[in-house]
Amino acid sequence: MKYQKPTINRIDFALASKYGSPLRSQKIKSSIDGVSVNELVKEFGSPLFVFSQKTIEEKYNEFFEAFSSRYPKVQFWWSYKTNYLDAICKLFHKLGSKAEVVSEFEYQKARHLGVEGKDIIFNGPYKPKKALLQAVKEGAKIHIDHLYEINDLEEIASELNIEIPVAIRCNMDTGIYPQWSRFGFNIDNNEAYNAIKRIYEGKKLILTGLHAHIGTFMLTANAYAKETQKLIKLKNKVEQDFGFEIEYIDIGGGFASKNRLKGVYQAPEVVVPSANEYAEAIVNAIYENNKGALPELYLETGRALIDEAGYLLSSVFASKRMPDGKKNYIIDAGVNLLYTNFWYNFEIFLDKRYDGLSEPSQINGPLCMNIDIIAPNIMLPALERGSVLTIWPVGAYNITQSMQFIRYRPNIVLIDKEKNVHLMKKSENLDTIIENELIPQFLQ
Amino acid sequence: MLLNEMIIDENNIAFIPSLGSSFELNESAKRVIELLKEGQSKEEIVQTLSKEYHKRWEDIYIDVEDFLQKLKIYGLIQ
Repeated sequence: MKYQKPTINRIDFALASKYGSPLRSQKIKSSIDGVSVNELVKEFGSPLFVFSQKTIEEKYNEFFEAFSSRYPKVQFWWSYKTNYLDAICKLFHKLGSKAEVVSEFEYQKARHLGVEGKDIIFNGPYKPKKALLQAVKEGAKIHIDHLYEINDLEEIASELNIEIPVAIRCNMDTGIYPQWSRFGFNIDNNEAYNAIKRIYEGKKLILTGLHAHIGTFMLTANAYAKETQKLIKLKNKVEQDFGFEIEYIDIGGGFASKNRLKGVYQAPEVVVPSANEYAEAIVNAIYENNKGALPELYLETGRALIDEAGYLLSSVFASKRMPDGKKNYIIDAGVNLLYTNFWYNFEIFLDKRYDGLSEPSQINGPLCMNIDIIAPNIMLPALERGSVLTIWPVGAYNITQSMQFIRYRPNIVLIDKEKNVHLMKKSENLDTIIENELIPQFLQ
Repeated sequence: MLLNEMIIDENNIAFIPSLGSSFELNESAKRVIELLKEGQSKEEIVQTLSKEYHKRWEDIYIDVEDFLQKLKIYGLIQ
């Protein structure tokens, strides 16, 4: 008879009647885009980040078609901070996205990838003057965050003896909580209008765009309708009052992915609006409120396009029994690689069907830190040492916000549409970590 | 030892009459419980399973230790 690890569970009839039979259900993912997860780990090591070109293109096309089928002038700008791996940025640029950056580092990265200045939106509250100067000279679209930036740009305009086209970032109440009010100028209390008046009176900058980004992981399309309505009304007013021609409105990003927010108990398929619902709300608000020429519509969608294309493969290293009876698995990927773990409950898939009963379990990472919990409550069958788990969706923000802590960060690969696997970033090693460290003479 | 009361049916559903509690277990768990009822020690159970399933005793030891802990948590053994 085949050996199974001895397992016993007390039968909770109330649990069984409410949730079916959690003791036997298993979520399985043995391959990604036709490539075996076990083979991936064997070749590239564990843990391993895996990205799918197929999913990236499907998500991009889904969102782009939702907007471009409703509106004639649509441009996507890839949000670098969501995932600025060179190969990922290249993929989005190849699909037609331009670049949206929020720091001098991201600006340099876009330029390094061959993106021209005119194809970069430079956002963010912190734009050092040197970076601003380079962006102006190269024709980037600068979205002003505060009055100091207006002063900086006017000084640059004087130095270069040019007029600089600019946009301003706005914030507003769209009926959602929390309201993102720390970026840009508030529309509701006229701060945005006054900033535009200030730009007009300075006579060195020309307002060509209006931008807002109302929040992140937005579960209501209606908030975007309100945002767009307020931006368009502001556009109409400043065109009339100051004679500016607003070429574009940038409604930002924040569309939700099919991830599962902690505290939200319905499935993402139920609560997350579709691309069509977001597009319908935004485009209708433009048509209903715009006066004069239609502006271009810019979107800086990040998470919704990349989150579901990213997987983290991790292997079981050991297990133990907790004093409360829960089974505890130690895997080789920790929360240092999974920043978004703090607000999402990821899907966790097994590499194959395991015989035997599932037990209440907890999954911990390898860090010698009590907070390293990947899944605090999950029903799992008896896993073996080396069993490969697939954690998903992890494509957004985990690469850019992961930290080197205690262990080296792992390899990152891309599976192309022909099922070829490409290394996109090599794992860290001692040399890459200490290369910028210096030991003072007296300690040598 | 409450475990001595445990009745296990052909579907591996177990019942402890004095607790009124039911349990679900697999074949190897059923075998460990049989051996416990026979009075075998942990070390003897490890050796028995190792021979019966042709597995390294070092690996079986981890599983038996884990299983006995869970029985203790359920209050079925001391």
